[in-house]
Amino acid sequence: MGDGGRALSEAAAIAGIGYTPFSRDSGVSTTTLACAAILEALADAGLGADDVDGIATHRVGDSAPPWVVGPALGIDDPHWYLDQFGGGSVSHAVIGQAAMAVATGMATTAVCYRAINARSEFRPGGQGRAPVGAFDLQYQAPHGLLAPVQHYAVAARAHMLAYGTTREHLGHVAVTQRANAAANPRAVKRDPIGMDDHLASRRIAEPFGLLDCCLETDGACAVVVTSAERARDLRHPPVDIAAAAWGGGHSAYSSAARGPAPPPHANLTTSSAARLAPRLYAMAGLGPRDVDVAEIYDCFTWTVLVQLEDYGFCAKGEGGPYAASGATRLTGELPVNTHGGFLSEGYVHGINHVAEAVQQLRGEAGERQVPGAEVALTTGQPGHVLAGTSALLLTAGR
Amino acid sequence: MSAHRRPRPAADRDSAAWWEALRRHEFLLQRCADCGVLRFPAREVCARCRSFTWSWIPARGTGRVVSWVVTHHAVHPAFADEAPYTVLHVALDDAPGLFCHGGLTGAAPGGLHPDLPVRAVFTDVADGTPLLLWRPEPAQGPH
Repeated sequence: MGDGGRALSEAAAIAGIGYTPFSRDSGVSTTTLACAAILEALADAGLGADDVDGIATHRVGDSAPPWVVGPALGIDDPHWYLDQFGGGSVSHAVIGQAAMAVATGMATTAVCYRAINARSEFRPGGQGRAPVGAFDLQYQAPHGLLAPVQHYAVAARAHMLAYGTTREHLGHVAVTQRANAAANPRAVKRDPIGMDDHLASRRIAEPFGLLDCCLETDGACAVVVTSAERARDLRHPPVDIAAAAWGGGHSAYSSAARGPAPPPHANLTTSSAARLAPRLYAMAGLGPRDVDVAEIYDCFTWTVLVQLEDYGFCAKGEGGPYAASGATRLTGELPVNTHGGFLSEGYVHGINHVAEAVQQLRGEAGERQVPGAEVALTTGQPGHVLAGTSALLLTAGR
Repeated sequence: MSAHRRPRPAADRDSAAWWEALRRHEFLLQRCADCGVLRFPAREVCARCRSFTWSWIPARGTGRVVSWVVTHHAVHPAFADEAPYTVLHVALDDAPGLFCHGGLTGAAPGGLHPDLPVRAVFTDVADGTPLLLWRPEPAQGPH
């Protein structure tokens, strides 16, 4: 086993962030989206495409790969690139791996991007998709169990049955995040919603209604990763990558029986984050009490509640009451998804959570700024569908 | 029946025999020949002792409800006529840590609860796809 990756801590920093507009129909290719977001991120850092020698993304056959995007920007000899398979479970691993590339000298400046026409081209629900090939899905698809919303609904219901989590608890996540989105000009949805709106929203896959589900979005986002030392000479205060972790290897369904007891991940009410969080915190020498702001993967409302528990902000089973207490509001002890999250800003598979954390740590989030934010947690999809998860702890650099 | 074809099982080389058995209305599990651990879904290697030697055995075909989802918004057009439909997450009685999904039959979702005993029911849809559904067991009276 390794030393927990401590050599990586604070070796690399995020020096720039960039977005395209988020929309329901971008009208352009994913290559165009990727290039536009990358150029924005480089401009934000005060760099140009000629400074880039690393390029990385993740995708599930639904985006432009690095070997298309790099040459499109005139970056045709990257020293390091990564084209990682996967969705939200690896969204933060990509940036962690870019930090590794920078820390080891494989690259000096890497751009990480996610570009997706998730509304107009590749809808995550799988509507009209071709036949099924995935290992687990062959046993599920014939029953009409096909989409992440259904898998997460199964896990959310198990949590409700075990801990008394309610639809209202889920509603606090949706209502709070929409309120945050009102102060985010980039958000696709900014009209306020109340608990009644949440409870009355059209049923999709019970216990989830429409307002429990993230927004399918066209758009792209990019971040620039460079050495912590170099980042200090660039345009903005750097945001240090204090810790990066990823892992996990099971879905709840494909658990491999190894003996007389069920494996630990067979419990639907605990996510892969519970196994990842200790090594993430250890790498940074920080704990949940040090976190000032958390951007938590919210493909569905419930994933926020389970991660509040599994990253140690409240006891197991208390995610619902914790959110209901107001603790996760902008004015609470742990502001969560300050930009509105995927439920209200838009769904770019994780990287827009990282970009929001960077804005918070730079103190440039405007009306939604958390005063004095110095430590941010930002997380990926917590497991249950494609198994593992990934997360970053970011700190305001000096 | 919807005009759209149900997604096919898309058996792989590890699972083809499992699907063939299901077509005969048999529910099989694998048992490691070296350490005896049971496994599902199908794969060639034992996660406990890493042996590649194993055999198929008939499963009990019973389990306990862990959780479920009631789908209202059909995510594939083949299921539009069936919505709302319920899919169960079932813990198999044969061994801890083995789970199987399947549609609910013979009951309404309102009566479901954790640990509810269920039994496998085999059915074939119009295009010949074999399906494993789960039916709640009748309540057991006093002996």
